[in-house]
Amino acid sequence: MSAKMTSPRPADLRKLLGGREIERVVVLGANGTMGYGSAALFTTAVPQVTFLARTRQKAEEGLDAAVKQVRSPTVRSRSSVGSYDDDLDGQVAEADLIFEALTEDFEIKREIFDRVEEVRRDDSIVATVTSGLSINQLCAGRGDSFRKNFLGLHFFNPPNVIVGTELIAGDDTDCEVVDFVEAFARLRLGREIVRTADTPAFAGNRVGFKVLNEAAQLAEQIGPVLVDRLVGPYTGRALTPLATIDLVGWDIHRAIVDNVFENSKDEAHATLELPGFMAKAMEKGVLGDKSGGGFFKKDGKARLVLDPASGDYKAESEIALPDLSYIDEIAHLHSMARYSEGMEVFLSAEGDEADIARKVIAGYISYAFHRAGEVTETITGIDMIMGAGFNWAPPSVLVDTMGVAATVRMIEQAGLPVPQKLAQAVTAGEPTRFFDNAQVNTGKYFVAA
Amino acid sequence: MATSEVYVLGGYQTDFGRNWTKENKHFSALMREGVLGALERCEIAPEEIESAHVGNFAAELYCMQGHLGAFFTEVHPAFSGLPTGRHEAACASGSIALLAASAEIEAGRYDLQAVVGIEQMKTVSPAEGGSFLGTAAWYDQEAKGVEFPFPKLFGRLGDEYDRRYGLKDEYLAEISRINYGNAKLNPNAQTRTWYMNKEHALCRTDDNPEVGGRIRIADCSQVTDGVATVFLASRAYAERYAKGTGKKLEEIPRIKGWGHNTARLRFADKIAESQSDRYVLPHVRSTITSAWKRAGLSDVNDVDGIETHDCFTTSEYMAIDHFGITEPGESWKAVEEGWLEIDGKHPINPSGGLIGAGHPVGATGVRQLLDGYLQVTDQAGDYQVEGAKSFQTLNIGGSGTTSVSFVIGV
Repeated sequence: MSAKMTSPRPADLRKLLGGREIERVVVLGANGTMGYGSAALFTTAVPQVTFLARTRQKAEEGLDAAVKQVRSPTVRSRSSVGSYDDDLDGQVAEADLIFEALTEDFEIKREIFDRVEEVRRDDSIVATVTSGLSINQLCAGRGDSFRKNFLGLHFFNPPNVIVGTELIAGDDTDCEVVDFVEAFARLRLGREIVRTADTPAFAGNRVGFKVLNEAAQLAEQIGPVLVDRLVGPYTGRALTPLATIDLVGWDIHRAIVDNVFENSKDEAHATLELPGFMAKAMEKGVLGDKSGGGFFKKDGKARLVLDPASGDYKAESEIALPDLSYIDEIAHLHSMARYSEGMEVFLSAEGDEADIARKVIAGYISYAFHRAGEVTETITGIDMIMGAGFNWAPPSVLVDTMGVAATVRMIEQAGLPVPQKLAQAVTAGEPTRFFDNAQVNTGKYFVAA
Repeated sequence: MATSEVYVLGGYQTDFGRNWTKENKHFSALMREGVLGALERCEIAPEEIESAHVGNFAAELYCMQGHLGAFFTEVHPAFSGLPTGRHEAACASGSIALLAASAEIEAGRYDLQAVVGIEQMKTVSPAEGGSFLGTAAWYDQEAKGVEFPFPKLFGRLGDEYDRRYGLKDEYLAEISRINYGNAKLNPNAQTRTWYMNKEHALCRTDDNPEVGGRIRIADCSQVTDGVATVFLASRAYAERYAKGTGKKLEEIPRIKGWGHNTARLRFADKIAESQSDRYVLPHVRSTITSAWKRAGLSDVNDVDGIETHDCFTTSEYMAIDHFGITEPGESWKAVEEGWLEIDGKHPINPSGGLIGAGHPVGATGVRQLLDGYLQVTDQAGDYQVEGAKSFQTLNIGGSGTTSVSFVIGV
């Protein structure tokens, strides 16, 4: 792992800024969700932000959406709009930061970078918000100046609400550029920065969508309602997994898991295969909340639930659930902040349902710890992005709450590979804490439901 | 009068962005997280705690729960039987708990005390909560039947400045911007993800509505659920603690000085009293200067930063000249010169303060001292004031009524 994987110390941040400021940002693809969301975020700290899109009209729509998202008229007063044809050359030539947020399509991004490279200043920074395309491939074959100043700055949606951000340097990105962007993103934009390797889907989505996709696979066997109850808030998350996929969009979910499935080969490969029922439903236009429903659909005040086998929906009230009183018991303990006791009940609960829930959580922990050293330098990076990017209990927080020995037993019982670091801690027998950020108040991840 | 030294061993705060009602959590969960988090972070065994003081304003109203000292004993079996109590002085409740605990250390009664500031406020609607806060004023005369009484009272503080010295809203907007900006560096700040810049703070549209005279939403501190805990210790205990944690005694911060005054309750009476004074709230000034005197400091140049009570931008504007950063009535100069920024000459509220970090009423005084501790021990992360050795707090209850200030330093 290189120096580019290590964040600077807080004390050095202001020095790294070194008096340099970002005065002008150009956002490409500013009509898309990530485009206008990022552009809105930039207006908190940057005096001039240009929204560019295929047409001026589309850029205007992006600006309207940005104003609406952060509910401030100052977004408009700090912004201008334009089209690629009329305005890209002039705007990019004057920009300190060019921020690319086009469709996740390699060719489309390459075409726009051709134009950017022609007109950009040598000292301007070019960042992409891609959630998984390779940073090295995106700048391959370009000139030195472009490659030295090119990096991934992966905000999560919506950027004005989620502070977790991944910073991905390419092989040729200048260390100073990476450090400067981190200082700017932390000090001026209030980002929680995690440096990741240029691996498929980086760190957060790699680990997060593994769990989400496993939940989607399970929906085929036990139905969406039971999945979201079993892997519910009490396991350390505000939003349940299938509701998350509906919110993110099934097309985005597919793009991420397909990318990881095709471009990586790890011990949990099978859990990253998109379930067939999702592909089939997408052919009929099912895309989650944005298409009017996914796993769940609103029906007035009631909720309809997808039957993965038939593709039909039925009322949630008609779906019978097994006895899940162990979850109520945990929620009661969580409501008094007795999280360790709550998770003890989780570890010892009997029945097939509890086994299923434990397998997903064990899979999350096992997968995350196996990725440490591959997608981030240590488990801390994965912990921070799962907390600040997904609002999930970071894997290390779960281990600390359940105890390392009990965690290892759970992983073994689930038939999953035990991460070496956890096995070693059990052998050593000394109390170990895995979560390594004293500033984070970890109780917030355990919701009493 | 010679007194014993009071050491601060550290502490813990919860993420002030949390909504504990949405998490389905009971008041007792706040207490538990706040105390257990502090024990763990400071590496102190529960059995070591000898006594506990709880600062809280209005749990009876917000949570239908009194007798909060007793809730401390629910946190750990080792606490059963400990002497505990609860202290109330509106928004200064946390500091009053700290004063009581430190007095007991000075008197030699105990060697190690837990001080917990705590408030859960998101249990009720903003209007109902605003009315509860009105009990920090003279309710019948100043708050009864008034929607959001406190923004209006602190709007009048701005009006009084305007009358005596002139006051431009752009300086208040800049104070708001700095606090929100600093909050972005603080992972436990409530407004870390909220949108703010100077133009927004100045905007006069529905995105920044008026809540009381010249006070708009961007000028206000927040409705917050939160808890902050610190441990205070005698010299004897601090020596043992230093040895056990591999530190030198000199590295452990002390409360070097304190000030405490209570002015008349009604805002109009305070203002009437100060008509011939250079300071708008002379008792607040006296709190600050008596803390310096006890700490052996001459003025504000002897501290490296301040955590002040910016319940509204006007209260921070008042604090600037009351700390003597400028002459009375000239607080705008400090704003204009950039002195209040984290890397400025007189950093104020690097944490984001009550506007940016949040204001769980009874927790605020403790949170301020905790932030002072983090600053002087170089543990404040991205909001660290470089090289800070000495910090001062100012915690105010009511409309400038109860004032408490601490100087903490190594």
